[in-house]
Amino acid sequence: MPLALLDYAIHTVILGYLGAGALLAALVMGGFAAVLSFWAGVQENAVMVQIGRRAFFAAAAMIVLAGGVLEWALLSHDFTLAYVADHTDLSTPMALVAAGFYGGQQGSLLYWALVLGLLGSASLVASASLGVRLAAYAAGVLATILSFLLIVLVLVASPFDLLSVTPPDGLGLNPVLRDGGMLIHPPVVLAGFASFAIPFSFAAAALLAGRPDSAWISHTRRFALMAWSLQTTGLVLGMWWAYHVLGWGGYWGWDPVENVALMPWLATTAYLHSSQVQEKRGSLRAWNFGLVMLAFLLVVFGTFIVRSGVIQSVHTFAISAIGPWFLGFLFVGIVFSVVLLAARANRLTERAEPTVLVSREGAFALQNLLLIGVVVVVIWGTVLPLVSGMFGQPRVVNSSYYERAAGPLLLVILALMAAGPLLPWGRARGHLKIYARALIWPGAAALVVLIALAVTGERSLPALVALPLAAAVAATCFTQFARLGRSWAVLRRRRRRYGAYLAHLGLAVLVTGIAASHFWQQEKDVTLAPGQQVTVAGYTLTYSGAIERQLADHTELVGAMRFGDSTLEPARATYAGLGGQSLTHVAISTTPLADLYVVLAGANNDGSASFRIFVNPLVSWIWAGATIIIVGVLLGNIGARAPGLEMVTRRLPAAVNP
Amino acid sequence: MKWVLPALVVAGCVGYLIYASGGSAEYYLTVSELRSHTGTGIVRVAGIVQDDIQKSDGGLHVTFTEKDGTASMPVEYSGTLPDIFKPGITVVAEGKLGSDGVFHARTLLAKCPSRFSTTPYTQ
Repeated sequence: MPLALLDYAIHTVILGYLGAGALLAALVMGGFAAVLSFWAGVQENAVMVQIGRRAFFAAAAMIVLAGGVLEWALLSHDFTLAYVADHTDLSTPMALVAAGFYGGQQGSLLYWALVLGLLGSASLVASASLGVRLAAYAAGVLATILSFLLIVLVLVASPFDLLSVTPPDGLGLNPVLRDGGMLIHPPVVLAGFASFAIPFSFAAAALLAGRPDSAWISHTRRFALMAWSLQTTGLVLGMWWAYHVLGWGGYWGWDPVENVALMPWLATTAYLHSSQVQEKRGSLRAWNFGLVMLAFLLVVFGTFIVRSGVIQSVHTFAISAIGPWFLGFLFVGIVFSVVLLAARANRLTERAEPTVLVSREGAFALQNLLLIGVVVVVIWGTVLPLVSGMFGQPRVVNSSYYERAAGPLLLVILALMAAGPLLPWGRARGHLKIYARALIWPGAAALVVLIALAVTGERSLPALVALPLAAAVAATCFTQFARLGRSWAVLRRRRRRYGAYLAHLGLAVLVTGIAASHFWQQEKDVTLAPGQQVTVAGYTLTYSGAIERQLADHTELVGAMRFGDSTLEPARATYAGLGGQSLTHVAISTTPLADLYVVLAGANNDGSASFRIFVNPLVSWIWAGATIIIVGVLLGNIGARAPGLEMVTRRLPAAVNP
Repeated sequence: MKWVLPALVVAGCVGYLIYASGGSAEYYLTVSELRSHTGTGIVRVAGIVQDDIQKSDGGLHVTFTEKDGTASMPVEYSGTLPDIFKPGITVVAEGKLGSDGVFHARTLLAKCPSRFSTTPYTQ
């Protein structure tokens, strides 16, 4: 008996109450940090700033504790917690049980708070160098955002709710999510979402403190880059997962959930470029503040859309009471940002400087306008059902809307990527002549690809524009590397710039993959008897027969296809335990030029089976391009001197004795 | 202020593109709303799959009845079915109502009850 009692005590009291208590403590510390930091900013009191910052660290530590408790409860199959029982079961592989942390509504919010707490702490560590007021307000804004998440976690969506009766087993994870993709895609996307708050907080703090110079930009540069890289990785992993798991032959469906992840990425892409204009030329200040705020508000907006169920999506997340909270927070965020920008508008007037449209900053500005144009297109398509529903029968757009409206804008951006990096900053003497000469290589590359396409009979205008432009972008990057010659010293000194060119090159590869698979995808529905062959786009497959396999928690019907020396095994799995839910297992064979993508639709009684076969050209280029982008960002920035971190050692004594 | 003109030009282009591409927007209806719908374009109709699913051609061709509270309609579709397609789930069929009274769907979207879990214990 005592053992059982002890067991009960550990499970219910320690795990449930410890976790909930840690969250509550985090909320108290977060609220304290917010109030104290704002007050310290107004008073310009360096000691108070230090205390406020430490309160933020304490809140982060409490969230880490809560996260540890939840993970422990998951791994020990503690079904007294409703969250554990709802999202895992005894048969789920342990890696996926661990991933249950962010697999549900409440846990994903906790994960968000965890990332914000840790990254926020990291951003505050060296913030003293920015001056007392800016550092104080940054801590205040960060602590406010963190407190908001904690309020939702404590009041509406606690992962530590206890069940009155402990079930013997949990409900388990939806089979669609029982995949390696579950281990990497959601945490990266959520971490990307969480990290947008840091540039936002420092931008707001700079405005509050009346310091609209570019100090906040350099201080948060690494966080903006991290947010962007995480979001890029998250988007591509999502595409990869959808492509390998869902079986419709594509990777992007312009679904609201995808759209709301894309929009902050577009805004941050714009910011990463326009912030350079401010660093180099001192202009576009107000614009940079606006972009950073827009990126963060788009994250909040997206969370509201996704979690509230106001818009129909193929991915319906568990709809819950958190929707109104995020709507309220979005409203407060918009009002706060707009009022702050308007109140400080007089300090944002820029040094009068002769502006040249045909210059590097001109290209950046145009690229920014176009990216925001894409955001507008996407946001309109996403909220159209909501807006049109207010005036009558709701209407929805399909992917052709996005392709037709955003496509031309994206193509102009691609053209700018080819031409922009060759342009000088400002007005250089005789620069147009030099510039025209520099355009020879990208122009030639585009022409060669255009002729090659025309000769092979390509007549689709978008393809005839997109692929040559991608070639031109690649050529521009290569000319930049070629100009470098063997000068490693320059490469080291200008690491950031050449990393960016590598990322551009990666994007050219990625765009080629998207364009080829979009314009030249072929598909065929076919029913085959054993031994029969089918040829799609020159690839011949032979159906060898269907086999049924019994596996641990599901049965699998495999329709084996011979392709050259290899065998493809597209299958349909049926999960008896989940009401007979079936799941497609796509078989993909990747060749350098195309993916052969086979989906088993079903088998007939006479031994024949039906398949949908796709040939997707150059899909592997998408994954390769994304990898090059991330490598470029990492090579260009990792280990670069951190101006802030050098201040850490000098900061402490100065801050303690103001 | 020097970016005002380019900004206006881009804004104009974006506005035009949205306007010109928005015409393809499809009405989103329930089965009973489809009865009174007069448009002729492609529409999306949401309803619950009934117990009369007929599959042929190894599952590549399917007919079933889609129903909401008051009205029902036969649906015909060719292609691979969503994994969770079965009686009782809500589907959104995208297509056109034929003169034969059958709705010819070109895509079928299944709505998962929840992406992340089955029915939670807490409800």
